[in-house]
Amino acid sequence: MKIRSAIFFAAAVALATWAGRGAIAADLTDVGFIDQSDLANLPVFVAANRQLATAKTQMDSQFNAQVKHVRTDAQRQQLTLQFQQQFNDKQREIVGPLFQRAQLAIAAVSSSRNLSIVVDKRIVIFGGQDITKDVEAVFAGPQAIQPPAATPPPSQIGFVDQNVLDGVPKVQTANATMQQFETTQRQVYSARIAQARTPAEKQQILTEFNKTISDKQDQLLKPLVDQTRSTTSDVARKKNLILVVDKADVIYGGTDITPDVQNALTK
Amino acid sequence: MRLRSKIVAFAALAVLAACGPNVHSSAVRGTGYVRVDEIVKHHPLYPQLSQIDDAIAAINLASVAPHVPMSASQIAAQTGELNRELRDAQLRANKILAQKQHDYAQRESQAVSAALAAAGIHGSGGLAGQQMSGASAQQLQQATQAANADLQAYQQNVIAQNNAASNSIERNLQTQADQKYRAKAEQLQQSETDLSLRLTQQDAAQRLAIKMRLSNLALDPTQRKQAQEQLAAINSRESAAVETQRNADAATLRALRAQLDRQTGDAIRNQVGAIAAQTRQKLEERRNEVGSQLRSLGPPPVPNNIPPNVQARIAQIHRQYVGAFQSDAAKTVADYNATKADLDRQFAALHGADVGATGAAAKELDALTKRRGELYGQIVAQIRNDASRIAKERGFTVVFADIWSAAGGYDLTNEVIKDVESQHE
Repeated sequence: MKIRSAIFFAAAVALATWAGRGAIAADLTDVGFIDQSDLANLPVFVAANRQLATAKTQMDSQFNAQVKHVRTDAQRQQLTLQFQQQFNDKQREIVGPLFQRAQLAIAAVSSSRNLSIVVDKRIVIFGGQDITKDVEAVFAGPQAIQPPAATPPPSQIGFVDQNVLDGVPKVQTANATMQQFETTQRQVYSARIAQARTPAEKQQILTEFNKTISDKQDQLLKPLVDQTRSTTSDVARKKNLILVVDKADVIYGGTDITPDVQNALTK
Repeated sequence: MRLRSKIVAFAALAVLAACGPNVHSSAVRGTGYVRVDEIVKHHPLYPQLSQIDDAIAAINLASVAPHVPMSASQIAAQTGELNRELRDAQLRANKILAQKQHDYAQRESQAVSAALAAAGIHGSGGLAGQQMSGASAQQLQQATQAANADLQAYQQNVIAQNNAASNSIERNLQTQADQKYRAKAEQLQQSETDLSLRLTQQDAAQRLAIKMRLSNLALDPTQRKQAQEQLAAINSRESAAVETQRNADAATLRALRAQLDRQTGDAIRNQVGAIAAQTRQKLEERRNEVGSQLRSLGPPPVPNNIPPNVQARIAQIHRQYVGAFQSDAAKTVADYNATKADLDRQFAALHGADVGATGAAAKELDALTKRRGELYGQIVAQIRNDASRIAKERGFTVVFADIWSAAGGYDLTNEVIKDVESQHE
């Protein structure tokens, strides 16, 4: 009986260990990544970018011709906006359909592999599934790509949109103050560096400048950055996420916790 | 017994299963991350990266002020052009003034002749000429004073321009020499870094093998000593190779500095000498020009006696024409002054420009940025390789870089730092 129970115990341990591994593995094997530079080198993207560059050159010369006739800063700003809008429209027209098809290809491949998130290759050092070639194959295929029937499964990798967090009033104010401070200090130290006679003097002034800026950053921005990161971690914990990355590195899927972090920061 | 064993087994199952998927436990070995920016600071090539960053920051800081991207020869050429324009403007103004002076004198002479004829005084032409000569005497005196003041101002202006041009050229040539020296120094430093890295990579396997042997506690003292000596020999061989290279580079730099000092000295002497010669020539020309203008006015003869009312009429005609001439001449002088002010502004902008933002500095900035990118890429590539190897050895499933925040997962940063440091000890 002792032997039987020992065998049963060993079997249970093995099962539990296997189940445990499976549980860990389940949240770790659903991460995919893409080499975006490889995708951008596909002939269609290269041709589209060339077309866009030609259009931009034409617009630049038109802008330069027209800007000569403007008399006020307001007119200049209006003209700049007008040309920016034209360029955006052109970009949408030329590259938009290709981006859309690439997104669909990524979604299709992710769905077929049951990936919960696809990120840029740059942020994956080890592991993950490289789906670049699969996506390129689907993208280059002749037929229309159907969007996947279901949304990506919930991911334990979260992301935040730093642009949105930069818009939180206290962050915005701190950034503006810092920028103003840096501009002023640049003028001051630039004048001093122009007067410097030896490389050693220049180095000394540069060191002082760097310290001035760094001290101000520590005083003004560091507390906010620390608060933002700690708030992000708290939100991530509550949502049972393992890691949080920047939205700019996420290509597909993932769990967006930006609104939660934004709310927590504005409280 | 069966029931008890089942309970024990289920309890074990529950305990073990509970240990598994807690993603917030640091014991979770599936997901890891590394803080690449932190590891970069511990990389042996980081001091080089910092140096480049400092150099970039210095150029950027120096470039906040407005600049004119020009070489010494361009500054000299533009200075010459501005001086030519200024001299042309002066000549033009003088010519116009001389012509106006002549016209007004002629008209005054005609008016005086008419006044004398109206008063019944005969031989009016000669008398009027004498009267006009009397006026010319006054004008000559005024013209001499004005010419001397003008010549003095011109001299000061030209000498100031000469000094500014010479200083600017000297500064520019020295900066160019410094830039050449710095570029060579950076190139040699890069070669030393590359050599150091190459040697380290070349010996990495051997070094690792020895270290693994050393980490074996069972190693007897003789073997341990032998292994330590082997490690020391590798370090010493690498240091000697780098030191030899460093000494050779230092000699190259000393020779380059001497050569640049010689070349810069010669170039400064040539260009400054040429500017000084131009200045002397300009002053000489101007002196001759003023002298010739004054000589053309001629000596004043003594006027004859004429009735007081006619004298008063002639004086009134003179005042009238002098006033008209002065008013007309003021416009020409104002035009000239406007041209001169504009040229002065251009001159100040040309010589006030800091050489730190010359075209050469912009090129240097580009080169530094490119080198920084390459070096950073090299460092990060190595960190990624090391991190990837460690992740594989430790059985991780996925490891991320540059995450925003971690609520769980395993931070591999310190292990990668140790690894990076140990490979370059």
